[in-house]
Amino acid sequence: MGGKCPHRSVKKRRYSHKTARRTKFLLMDILFIDAVYDELQKADGDRKSLPVDEDLPGMGQYYCLHCDRYFANATVRDEHFKTKRHKKRLKQMMGPAPHTQLDADLAAGMGMPDNGPKLMST
Amino acid sequence: MRLEKCWFCSSTIYPGHGIQFVRNDAKIFRFCRSKCHKNFKMKRNPRKVKWTKAYRRLHGKDMTQDATFEFERKRNRPERYDRNVTENTLRAIKKIDKVRVDREARHHAKRMKGKKAQLQREAAKELEQSIHMVKAPAALQQEPSLTLPKLKVKAPQQQTEDNRMEE
Repeated sequence: MGGKCPHRSVKKRRYSHKTARRTKFLLMDILFIDAVYDELQKADGDRKSLPVDEDLPGMGQYYCLHCDRYFANATVRDEHFKTKRHKKRLKQMMGPAPHTQLDADLAAGMGMPDNGPKLMST
Repeated sequence: MRLEKCWFCSSTIYPGHGIQFVRNDAKIFRFCRSKCHKNFKMKRNPRKVKWTKAYRRLHGKDMTQDATFEFERKRNRPERYDRNVTENTLRAIKKIDKVRVDREARHHAKRMKGKKAQLQREAAKELEQSIHMVKAPAALQQEPSLTLPKLKVKAPQQQTEDNRMEE
């Protein structure tokens, strides 16, 4: 992140902030943030071993749950754990649950959905 | 006919309106208009955008807990058609809606209580602090009568002065 000097007098030679903005944009990814959040809530109890998948980097053995990313080996993954993006994502996941359709419904003044009596007891 | 709510702003979406996005895990995101859809694509959080219902709820701008909210809900079970029940429901809707509107008005009044006095206090303070913007400090010193309480009295005097000038 960052770069040379953002405050240089010669405008053309200044460093662009595109990467910083890009990472910020990726960080607030609604497209999968709630899916990851659900996964995390589920996975809190039991963390089963990852299945071997030869299509994924590192046979799918080195995975970051918070960022939904696969890594080639343990070193790269540990390196990733130290990055700013990962830490930010961690912090985000500790916060309140992401907005869902249910939240939208409740905010609109609707009650909880009525699914009737449970047909099967599990 | 099911009336859905917008994912972003929680407004009602009537059939044939808006657009919906289906994510590859089969989650559905409905949007009432392109404004909401664009805001979604910009990855904005509805809890942080002031005009959404989610924000207003969260920040105590709207009524949150009320018995009238229990009527409108997503019912995922079939109901056998009954003419009497329908008639009663249609009658009840009007009454309940009136109750809710009244309660919302009361909530708003309660929330705005003391607002006018506060505004007046702030305005008075600002007038006191920045009177020098209107009148030069030197002029104020020369004539102590120009200070705040007598500001209203001063206006006609000025007019008379102007008149004399014209004459």
